[in-house]
Amino acid sequence: MNIRLIAEGEEEACNKFHNRLYKTNRTIDQWRWEFTLNNYLSKPVPYAVVEDDGAIVGTQAFIPIRLIDKDGVYWTAKSEETLVDPSYRGKKLFEKMYALLFEYAEEHEFSYIWGFTPAIKAFDRLNFTIPGKTGQIFMPFSARSIAPMMAKSTIGKQAGFGDKLKSVLARSGCVVAQSVSAVKVALNKNKNIGDLEIRTMDQPDEQTGELCRGFIDHYGGTTIYRDADYLKWRLFDNPYVKSVVRAVYDNDKLLGWVAFMLADDGLGYLVDIMTTPDDQIYKPEDLIRLLLLEAVIGSRNMGATGIRGWFVNKHPFDKLVRRTAREIGFYTFDRGNSVVLYNCSKGKERTAYDKFDDWYVSRIYTEGVLG
Amino acid sequence: MLPPEVEYFKGCIEDHIALFFNEKAKAVTGDNYLRFLPYDDAVALKENILAIPYDIPVPNKPGNPYKVSFNYTELTVWNKIPSPDKGDWTPLPDKSSPLWYRDSSGTLIPAWNLFGNLFHLLTFGEEINPTQRDAHGRFAAAFSPRLEQNLIEVPAFNEAVATIVAACDGLHENGRPNFHLNNLLKPPNLVLSHDCDILLGNDFWTQAVRGARIFLPLLKAKPPKLDNAWWLVRNAVTPKRFYFDNVNGMIDIERCFGYNSTFYVLNGSGGRFGARYESDIIPELQKQIPPKWDIGMHYNYNTFLDAERFEAQVEQLKNILNTDIIAGRAHYLKFDPEKSFPFLQKYGIRVDESSGYADRIGYRNGIAGCFRPYDPAQKRAHDIWEIPMIIMDAVLVRQYGDRYADKFSQLLNHLKYVGGALSVIFHPGQFFNPEYKHMLDVYHNLLMRSRDLGAVSETAKSLTEKNK
Repeated sequence: MNIRLIAEGEEEACNKFHNRLYKTNRTIDQWRWEFTLNNYLSKPVPYAVVEDDGAIVGTQAFIPIRLIDKDGVYWTAKSEETLVDPSYRGKKLFEKMYALLFEYAEEHEFSYIWGFTPAIKAFDRLNFTIPGKTGQIFMPFSARSIAPMMAKSTIGKQAGFGDKLKSVLARSGCVVAQSVSAVKVALNKNKNIGDLEIRTMDQPDEQTGELCRGFIDHYGGTTIYRDADYLKWRLFDNPYVKSVVRAVYDNDKLLGWVAFMLADDGLGYLVDIMTTPDDQIYKPEDLIRLLLLEAVIGSRNMGATGIRGWFVNKHPFDKLVRRTAREIGFYTFDRGNSVVLYNCSKGKERTAYDKFDDWYVSRIYTEGVLG
Repeated sequence: MLPPEVEYFKGCIEDHIALFFNEKAKAVTGDNYLRFLPYDDAVALKENILAIPYDIPVPNKPGNPYKVSFNYTELTVWNKIPSPDKGDWTPLPDKSSPLWYRDSSGTLIPAWNLFGNLFHLLTFGEEINPTQRDAHGRFAAAFSPRLEQNLIEVPAFNEAVATIVAACDGLHENGRPNFHLNNLLKPPNLVLSHDCDILLGNDFWTQAVRGARIFLPLLKAKPPKLDNAWWLVRNAVTPKRFYFDNVNGMIDIERCFGYNSTFYVLNGSGGRFGARYESDIIPELQKQIPPKWDIGMHYNYNTFLDAERFEAQVEQLKNILNTDIIAGRAHYLKFDPEKSFPFLQKYGIRVDESSGYADRIGYRNGIAGCFRPYDPAQKRAHDIWEIPMIIMDAVLVRQYGDRYADKFSQLLNHLKYVGGALSVIFHPGQFFNPEYKHMLDVYHNLLMRSRDLGAVSETAKSLTEKNK
């Protein structure tokens, strides 16, 4: 067995391996978007493979992502494409691929390696910490939203009487919940906060990076550095589903944006929300409310059966979004994947080291099919 | 010097290749490998050339369709021609379902009436001599002689051009026709459009229809359909919901896939078959439509071949939108294959999407793409592009039920292997409207299928502009 970084010309084989194991139909263009056409220009591509007798039997990749803190912009990696052929399990291939990638991370001065997974044991063995778990903010528009919301918990199970009863109860509860949400949305949507203009971005605004810097200056901590290049790659060039990005402006000054999309499961996804922390004129919660309503009405008009987003920790902006979301009719519940985080030696120098509540995390961190 | 009909047909093929194939395909289908000749000259030719006979009569009713495997898909051809009796001709790929006859000298001729069949379809041969028309005076798919033989959903022109390109490429490479199109095709196009028949759900006619639907079952001694009362009240309170608001939703959902579309607005006289909204809402609509999306005119029902009314509608819309009106589609698809093109051209329409069926999905002209219709008086192409409408939202669902998305994929997947553009119309009122439950998610599902098949979006206007 040969454990090494991907060689030129192996992209198709890796993608086929992924499609075979996950029974998906990911295209090679989608693979390229994710792993080679992102904003990381250094070579080689951080994509480890296990090759046995000419066949790919394991993969583990990094998607390099820039974060920002008060000391500036720095590189981190999102863990992605963790996959080992079932017939090769027990051979510690995951650990061996990661050993290679840990070296890569040190060499390329990545500060953190992070990801979201239900399979925390494997990461625990590699000294990843589990600093938190993603939770959900959710607003139903229709009882049809129950099926996709419950989908993960019923995969592979034969629906018994209990499941059916649960589904009926959930649907009934949903009708009540959506009515309450609809009233709250109606009560909030006409609250005017001055002469602001909502625009849909057809391309990323160059002011987004600056807004991120202002955000960090105000809140401290760290978050993804959402400059125009990053948003172009992540949202506008996304070959799966692109996000609709609505932005709020005071004249031509960007005050914030919300990114949302309609996923294949019929649900709207709140991918990202950012606002300026400058509260001299507009309160951040007013901007958040305005943008969340744009996402709610926008996804509802697209025919979404509901809209869901993340809350993750006690970051002040995350808490503000959660609170405002509740006010306009979202519900929150704890159901999601664990965050796994590895501190590289460079990470120990950063301000957010060992303080996960200093991380502002939205669904944009998923870097995958669903925003 | 070729007859004008043949020059016209050759031009259609060249336009089609320029849009859906790459530069190599363009180069190999030049005069070196492709020639149009009378049948006797074609079979007498002894050259490494694809010779297409143009003087074989074509019957109105298609004869003996059969299928041929080609480039990972299956083609359907009809009006087979027998193998020439003089010379040493071999049927290819095989005797039972030949696509070509190949002479030992290298000459190829099609095994079916390629020119005749396609010229007949592009020039509305099935419907020129008035046969049957429906209550709106339209030629329906039900009247097409192709329907009986299940040929309505065959993009015959696309298939034929694909075989021509592959054959010429093969002649260029090794003197024998290819049956695949390796690296010669561009991805299929998806041409989306929306007829804005209703923008406010509280107009008199829409509400009256709902009102009638409540009580009509009583005539058959059935209980009244009270759900109509709910929609009646709901749209009375929020008239834009599920109509005007859907325009924003459709634009956003198209954004999610990197697609765009054309909105055809209906202005002018109101009525059951006329505009159901006042024109003063059109500027608001225009504000919602981003620059990459197009706006065109939905020709009002009563403007059909009526110069005065049509001109008035054009002028009114021009003034409202403050732009020239160059694209359009007829409301109810009211369209005359002989008179409509010169008529539309006279009033500045350069791109039309009216040539489709209201009763079935299918290829009215046997083409998935665009073409300039033939002007028999001037013996040349009209200066207007027709992008035949292939799929209408509710018709697709009515015809195929739960299998609608599979049918859509099947049509688009076929075009992936022969090249072309699938034109789809989706009404805003059908897009996301719980009043029509069976239509919920349909548009989203079609867009997902398109993405998965790698379709690239063009509007009718942008598609034809590529051909300038």
